[in-house]
Amino acid sequence: MTYAIETRGVCRRLGKRFEIRDLNLGIPGGSIYGFLGPNGAGKTTTIRLILAQLRAQEGEITVLGESIPASIHRVLLRVGFVPERPHLYPGLTVDETLDYHSAFYPTWDGGRAENLVRGFGLDRSLRVARLSKGETGQLMVVLALAQTPELLVLDEATEGLDPVVRREILEALVDYVSQQDATVFISSHLVHELERVCDWIGFMDDGLMVADMPIKDFKEGIKRLRVVGAPATLEDPPFVLLSREAGDGVTEAELWVVRGWEAPMKSYVEGVGATLREVIDLDLEEGFVELLRTARAPKQ
Amino acid sequence: MFRVILYTQWKWTRLALLPGVIIAFSLPVLSVQRAGELGYAAWVLQSVGGWAVWFPALAAALGLLMAVTAWREDHRGGHVYALSLPIERWRYALFRFAAGAVLLAAPIVALWVGSLVATAAAPIPPTLRAYPNTLALRFGLAALVAYGVFFAISAGSARTAAFVLGGVAALIAFDVLLQAAGAELSVSREVWAWLTRTPGPMTVFTGRWMLIDV
Repeated sequence: MTYAIETRGVCRRLGKRFEIRDLNLGIPGGSIYGFLGPNGAGKTTTIRLILAQLRAQEGEITVLGESIPASIHRVLLRVGFVPERPHLYPGLTVDETLDYHSAFYPTWDGGRAENLVRGFGLDRSLRVARLSKGETGQLMVVLALAQTPELLVLDEATEGLDPVVRREILEALVDYVSQQDATVFISSHLVHELERVCDWIGFMDDGLMVADMPIKDFKEGIKRLRVVGAPATLEDPPFVLLSREAGDGVTEAELWVVRGWEAPMKSYVEGVGATLREVIDLDLEEGFVELLRTARAPKQ
Repeated sequence: MFRVILYTQWKWTRLALLPGVIIAFSLPVLSVQRAGELGYAAWVLQSVGGWAVWFPALAAALGLLMAVTAWREDHRGGHVYALSLPIERWRYALFRFAAGAVLLAAPIVALWVGSLVATAAAPIPPTLRAYPNTLALRFGLAALVAYGVFFAISAGSARTAAFVLGGVAALIAFDVLLQAAGAELSVSREVWAWLTRTPGPMTVFTGRWMLIDV
């Protein structure tokens, strides 16, 4: 598998209280990768590392096959970026912003920009400072898509926008990806929003990657199991045991959260002398919450 | 690329640049307006000399204005936009610097034209000479030096600016302590003398800024 973004052992400390630890990330080329995590998890820091706006203290980063930060300027020609906070010059009009931005990109597609501006209903003569939050978000997406990027990086790009604008932006993204076979790396904490468009997801919490998989596997394979009588250590389980919590005193059943679960694996559980009481399905949001809860639980 | 950077800088500075151009044109005209009434060379020199301080002051002010506005919008956005553009940082800074320098040409040319108009209109006593080209050239150099210094300071973070201001404050505080201890040495005076001594970096700001001189 070729990766549009790959990080290996990346570490970055920010202040005394937060650090990205041993970040290993692989964003498959051509995927729409949802990067989930609560506020303060390290999603924006990760994006800043990937785009060389921050330097990693350890580890290696590769974007579109090129090493970061050494080749960042070549890479940025092929990357469309929509940051968390509007970053455009407020004194310029929409038209002037398009003109300014296009000067930096030889691959600029004026026709696409025109169609998107018209589709979003943006007033070209308005200054950026006078645009609403939704319009600013739309303009940033226009700029990113008209660059004809191979990789789109969106950092909470639809945060705080109304559902109609959010949907328009996501539709524009999906439309672009279907035409260009581009990779999209989109960070958010709006789980349902990503569930509709993503084919891969990664979860981050407190500077650590908690899980990373195709969304199909996540939806189908993540289960919560109630198990009684399991030994302290499991040898070669056929599933990934994400977390294991002891019973709460009222029930003896342990709670396991597992990935890659399939029904025949019940025999493995029974084979180690345990009894499987219940298998509970989790949707994406529940799975996300469960992963966070277990990631944050004190280790036994 | 340079075209759009120049355009943005023009848009950000034009309202402040316009009064600068008007003042730069007016200063030489105002400095010689009483030359005809005074008649005597010594009085003319005294009158013109009274305006001399405003030329370097205007050059410094314009340099500061252009430098601050060159970076203001990027500072406001935390430099996220500039850093996400596919251009090397040094090249981006060079284009921003060059754009400011190009725009500084407007008040420099205005001062030159103003000087030419002033010297053409004012009766100059036979023992004196007009120096419109020299004054404009000197003004241009001073504006560019001021612009360069302030550009370098404002290109950095707020922390850089704090370091520079902190350094100046520490120098002054040290001088106060030296004087309290009865020492005759003044470090800040020595530093200023070094900066302005020929061929110091600030020499262009010192000396006589006279449109009409002997």
